[in-house]
Amino acid sequence: MKKILCFACAVLMMVLCFAGCGEKASVSASKALADPDAAKGAEITFTVGFDAEFPPYGYLDTETNEYTGFDLVLAEEVCKRNGWTLVKKPINWDLKDSELEAGTIDCIWNGFTMNGREEEYTFSSPYVDNSQVVVVRKADKINALKDLAGKSVEVQKESSAEAALTSTEDNEKNLALAKTFKELKSVADYNTALMDLESGICDAVAMDIGVAQYKVAANDKLMMLSETVATEQYAVGFKKGNTALCDKVEETLKAMVADGTFAKIAEEWELSDCVCLK
Amino acid sequence: MKLVEIKDLKKSFNGVPVLRNISLTVEEGQTVSVIGPSGGGKSTLLRCATMLEKVDGGSIAYDGKYMVKTDEDGNAVYAPKAELKGICSTFGLVFQNFNLFPHFSVLQNLTDAPIHVLKMPKEEAEAQALELLDKMGLKNRADAYPGELSGGQQQRVSIARALALRPKVLFFDEPTSALDPELTGEILKVIKQLAAEKMTMVIITHEMAFARDVSDHVIFMDGGIIVEEGDPKDVIENPQNARTKEFLSRVQSTI
Amino acid sequence: MESVLEFFKNLWNLLVQLSPSMLTTIEIFLLTLVLSLPLGLLVAVCRMSKWKPLSWLTRIYISIMRGTPLMLQLFVVCYGPYYMFEIPLTGEWPFIAAIIAFAINYAAYFAEIYRGGIESTPLGQYEAAQVLGYSKGQTFFRIVLPQVVKKILPATTNEVITLVKDTSLVYALAIVEMFTRAKMIAAAQTSMLPYLAAGIFYYAFNYLVAFLMERAEKKLGYYQIK
Repeated sequence: MKKILCFACAVLMMVLCFAGCGEKASVSASKALADPDAAKGAEITFTVGFDAEFPPYGYLDTETNEYTGFDLVLAEEVCKRNGWTLVKKPINWDLKDSELEAGTIDCIWNGFTMNGREEEYTFSSPYVDNSQVVVVRKADKINALKDLAGKSVEVQKESSAEAALTSTEDNEKNLALAKTFKELKSVADYNTALMDLESGICDAVAMDIGVAQYKVAANDKLMMLSETVATEQYAVGFKKGNTALCDKVEETLKAMVADGTFAKIAEEWELSDCVCLK
Repeated sequence: MKLVEIKDLKKSFNGVPVLRNISLTVEEGQTVSVIGPSGGGKSTLLRCATMLEKVDGGSIAYDGKYMVKTDEDGNAVYAPKAELKGICSTFGLVFQNFNLFPHFSVLQNLTDAPIHVLKMPKEEAEAQALELLDKMGLKNRADAYPGELSGGQQQRVSIARALALRPKVLFFDEPTSALDPELTGEILKVIKQLAAEKMTMVIITHEMAFARDVSDHVIFMDGGIIVEEGDPKDVIENPQNARTKEFLSRVQSTI
Repeated sequence: MESVLEFFKNLWNLLVQLSPSMLTTIEIFLLTLVLSLPLGLLVAVCRMSKWKPLSWLTRIYISIMRGTPLMLQLFVVCYGPYYMFEIPLTGEWPFIAAIIAFAINYAAYFAEIYRGGIESTPLGQYEAAQVLGYSKGQTFFRIVLPQVVKKILPATTNEVITLVKDTSLVYALAIVEMFTRAKMIAAAQTSMLPYLAAGIFYYAFNYLVAFLMERAEKKLGYYQIK
């Protein structure tokens, strides 16, 4: 009974949606860029596909009952600057490829990890870097992850770095790496970990790249290994080959970086430490 | 033979003289009683003689050896530490408040110092202690703790403790003052017995009858000086000095 | 009925799971006691020294130890050597640092307890010992200290029980003792049960401490001090 009701609702919504589309001439941003003539006089929509359960990038704000998030606010600003209308389209994450293929969304913009997917999509430059890196003492001659064998490594308790080194799901490489350590210790906060590193209590600290860059820049005794424990960069994903729209969005984003809007939005969402678009 | 020889002893507290040129000698086997009003310097004299207070001037000698004497500049100079230890073993002191060691049993109170100070073998110390307790009528309380004893019993233990170190002279600082009147008798009896054995003793006391009957010599002290001294009967029953008379009449009227 | 059985089974499993880290807790506790009790005596003696500079220095030390949080002292002892004197540290250091910090902190508290006990010893005890020919050292160790021990036992019991609970502070130096372990398990299982297990351990430990101290008090109860 419930299922039937849901189905009925879905059908109804689809009908309403099509009806709405029919009323005004509107064309997607992808099409508009490919065929500028066809878009003349029509409303240009920019449809962002996102998984509504991924805060703070895209989620349903239960107070206002509207979709919001860092990525959606960025998209809003991109649209504003291009005269487009933003359509927020929560999608079934498993069907993201078909949605892109069918043109029902213009892009996937939702804390979308680009690493390992480079061949499948056309990506903008990464704008968030969640990579987990290793910080060591310059004096120690530790240059690669394999040099950490027999060393004492610290992570912040309940951090992504801790998860990256201890998670048992699909993580053989890092688990094997962690096994080579003398010990892997979780400490209360990354400041303690870095104090332990500096004073010699531990030999390496695994942590978020954003904080690591900041700390290494401030302390000339420390350095970051170029090899990462986990690489995780977020970018906007477009249908493979849709470089025109990708370039347009990227261009707009870079303009936002240039005038400080990007940094301001990042700050509002407390993501200043991990945004990386320059 | 002069066992104790005190000459020109001076002592002040914060500039207030408490002893002014006190001289006295105690012959071996003699019992000397010191009487006089409170604050007259009796206790200070005893405390100086037992090194609980340092003297300001004068000399004290035991058995011919100087514990302290005064140099040409008028400074009191004590004997070197090594010598002092031997000199101090000449005398013993019985306190008004007994000052027994509460964590030691009666027997330990009597054996600990002989064993650890005189390095006496344990068996010897214990045998001697039991003998002394027997003499004090306390043989059956050897295993008791001071807290379990009456005041009179405690004072008898403390006399035995002092005797355990075999002193040549024993000082008593008002040995019955902290006791209930009905308990003073047992202490006086013990002292009387010691006197009969020709133990050399100096006793500060308020018991005039006792001083008269037991001692060989009585000293009346007031205002930091020896006002009058001599044969006990003469001094106590027929005092010459006005201050002695006044004191004795006051003490006797309260009895 | 079954669920009650299940509950106790889980609890037992947790206690077993926590037992290796309990050893760390007990190790910290015992090492601290063994070091701080004699050190406290030394501090008390320095504090009562007639030589003013020593007495003042000790007084300042005690005041700092009692006036700043133990957590802060743990940090200072652990990181101070490097950040103040550039002495490179090692992975074993935090545990040693924790023991040092605990020992010097508790020594300060114990010193004040000792001092109270020593100063309340009647003058007559010292005088009796002197006249009997005891040396200063003999007087202290044979006459004064045994009486002090009896007098300070109740106050010491309090401190020792506090120490049992304070051991959990070493988590600040990332030393995994019982409570840290319990927190980890609690986070992983999203359950309060590990905390209950930790509480049971602390309570049992302190019960044992109180029991032993009470036995000691009884043992010293054979005599009275006025």
